[in-house]
Amino acid sequence: MADIETIAASVASLKENFEQHRYICSDEIATAVFLAYQLRKPVLIEGPPGVGKTELAKTAAEMFSLPLVRLQCYEGLDESKAIYEWKYGKQLLYTQVLKEALDEVLQGAKGFTQSVSKLHEFGDIFFSNEFLEPRPLLKALREEDGCVLLIDEIDKADHEFESLLLEILSDYQVSIPEIGTIKAVAEPPIVFLTSNNTREISDALKRRCLHLYIPFPDVEVESKIIGARVPEVPPELQRQLVEFIHELRNLDLKKLPAISETIDWARTLVLLHAESLEPKLVKDTLNVILKFQEDIDNVHSEVNALAAKVTK
Amino acid sequence: MNAQTTDRTISNFIRALRNADIRVSTAETLDALTAVELVGYEDRDYLKRALSLVLPKTEDEKVTFDACFDQFFAFQDVRGEAEAALSDGSEAEDQDSEDGGDGEGGGAGGDRQAQPGGKRKKSKSKNKNNLFEEEEEEDLGPGEMTDPNSALGKLLMANSRVELAVQMSAAGEAVNIRDIQIFTQKGLYARRVMDQMGLADLNQEIADLRQAPAVPARRLGQQLKARRDFLREQVRDYVEQQFLLNADVSGKRLREELLRKVKLSNVEHRNFRLIQEIVYKMAKKLSTLHSRRKKVFKRGQLNISRTLRNNMSYDGAIFNLHWKSVKVDRPKVFAICDVSGSVANYARFMLMFLYSLDEVMPKVRSFAFSSDLAEVTELFNRNKIEDAIAKTLRDYSGGSTDYGQALLDFKKLCLDDIDNRTTIIILGDARNNFGEAHAEVLKELYDRSKRVIWLNPEARLAWNTGDSEMRKYGAYSHQVEECNSLMHLERVVGNLLRHTN
Repeated sequence: MADIETIAASVASLKENFEQHRYICSDEIATAVFLAYQLRKPVLIEGPPGVGKTELAKTAAEMFSLPLVRLQCYEGLDESKAIYEWKYGKQLLYTQVLKEALDEVLQGAKGFTQSVSKLHEFGDIFFSNEFLEPRPLLKALREEDGCVLLIDEIDKADHEFESLLLEILSDYQVSIPEIGTIKAVAEPPIVFLTSNNTREISDALKRRCLHLYIPFPDVEVESKIIGARVPEVPPELQRQLVEFIHELRNLDLKKLPAISETIDWARTLVLLHAESLEPKLVKDTLNVILKFQEDIDNVHSEVNALAAKVTK
Repeated sequence: MNAQTTDRTISNFIRALRNADIRVSTAETLDALTAVELVGYEDRDYLKRALSLVLPKTEDEKVTFDACFDQFFAFQDVRGEAEAALSDGSEAEDQDSEDGGDGEGGGAGGDRQAQPGGKRKKSKSKNKNNLFEEEEEEDLGPGEMTDPNSALGKLLMANSRVELAVQMSAAGEAVNIRDIQIFTQKGLYARRVMDQMGLADLNQEIADLRQAPAVPARRLGQQLKARRDFLREQVRDYVEQQFLLNADVSGKRLREELLRKVKLSNVEHRNFRLIQEIVYKMAKKLSTLHSRRKKVFKRGQLNISRTLRNNMSYDGAIFNLHWKSVKVDRPKVFAICDVSGSVANYARFMLMFLYSLDEVMPKVRSFAFSSDLAEVTELFNRNKIEDAIAKTLRDYSGGSTDYGQALLDFKKLCLDDIDNRTTIIILGDARNNFGEAHAEVLKELYDRSKRVIWLNPEARLAWNTGDSEMRKYGAYSHQVEECNSLMHLERVVGNLLRHTN
């Protein structure tokens, strides 16, 4: 297995390796991963849903043979769920158990001051690593051989959470008041952040990241993707379905079909043993690519024309 | 290529980007430099891809970035200024050796005239006349040239590109080239820079030399002329670059600045799109500012019951504290817009603003009226901005203004929805055609809601004249403002958001 250094040595080799892992990427994407590795900078990936933002991180982890640590963001996510938490139960249990042992410890101590200073000798045992419950971000820093950290849908988290991320993104460390600063043990993780652009990400966060925008691919790239992901599709059908999807993206729809929908559709058509895009077949399977009844109704009337256009 | 020229090229480029409204921080500049070190200058596309990952941070910025990159690196040699200087130097040398060649050719026979002439044309386009003279001279073979007298002539003959560049930027500073604003000024500034460098003297000298009887003097005259043309091109490039660096590339900012101040009723039709953009930007800015504030939680008070309940599992030992937190809600905004004939010119923009506000703030309900009032929120949600505005104007702008009726309608429609977090904005001139004002309805709204804001497109002087009922309505508004330009609008809405928290 090739190691990370050699894979990430150049853009071309990255691209090739991605393709071996069935992820067809543009030069932009490969360059982004290259710079991310070489400059040790997080990548903020934006783009419409379903163009393979999360998939990129997953494939990168697979390609580099690194563990993937994933943090799914949602409204109300805070540090106790993202970075660390104390194991309250364990702390409580231990204090109960150790109550008896307290007498032994304090034996011979005279007066309050002496007792307290004796206790001080034990330090902050209850707030040590033993009682620390690491959450994804801390876990990522503690991975021995480095890892790929995926912070998914950062736009769903609150504004304050972004500020929480700043330390880990720029210095690869987190500060825990009771323990101190924890730095990445080995290699800093390769960080991917994804955003669906439901709100603007703050400038402070953007400044620390490389910014990659993944648009819908062109016909050629999308055909390659289908070829890699669903190799069973006959080439003629593959061309037709990709072109059909591209025609759809030109229409005014509530939600445009993304690559993931194209792949699903290709799989569906394979299951149905389709040879070419018959209007009836398309109408029956429209619900695979369109996710709103309104869109389906709108497209329904156009299917004949579109199908004729791509099957000509 | 040394590191310094890289730095300079990149930082110049970043200046150009900043001019084109892309925000680049110092940290990002450093990132860009590291990235450039990594990818090198050899592959232009590769460089562009790499930089576009580091510098622009939104989709829109990427588009601008692409344009800027193409523009900037089109004339700026990618390898930096020093390299450019070097190649220019060698070009000058080429020219010298060619001169020598011409001399020999001339000596051997006149039939080779055309060839060197063609060659010459390739390197520097000169006029025929000049060539002829040169041939005449060449009969005398290559020889001594007299020394130039004018300062610029000396500089040109010194063959020092660095010196020349220094002089050029000094001249640029002297004529305040940094003030260049729009592209039509390029020619003017190029001319000024040349003048500042002493073009007049040089021209005089060239003219004199070409009349001179002595061959070496004529030869010098020719050389100087060639180099003057070369200089002219250099200066033009220099000005072009300064323009990119200093001027707002599309002149857009200037126009935006002007449009903000112009009365909305006077805006020309072709500027509508730009206005729309500004309005949207403004609404967006205001709402981000606001939504950030909304997130402020009030912390500090212990929520005792919740803490006890949640710590039951710890045997009643209080480990996990819960605080009372208050989430400040976004305000509910009800906007009522008069679209009747008297305010027709403003209605368009008010609607535009309503529409944009609606896009960036989730809880806006919009109403339009001239005589009868109706809700247009749905219409706004379903249609694109142009259609929505056109439809609203078509459906509601027919009747004659009746504020009293409109207020009654509004009351009937949504009095129940108005609570102490609601802000009501009324856009209109309060000209009621001497009809019943129904100010008591407004009072009712005033009592129930958090704020009533009346925005009047007329100048304050015109209020309360004729059929204007501003005095009556103003009594039941928390805030009454004159609002007929984007600047007013921005101020008013800024205040509105500040107060809603």
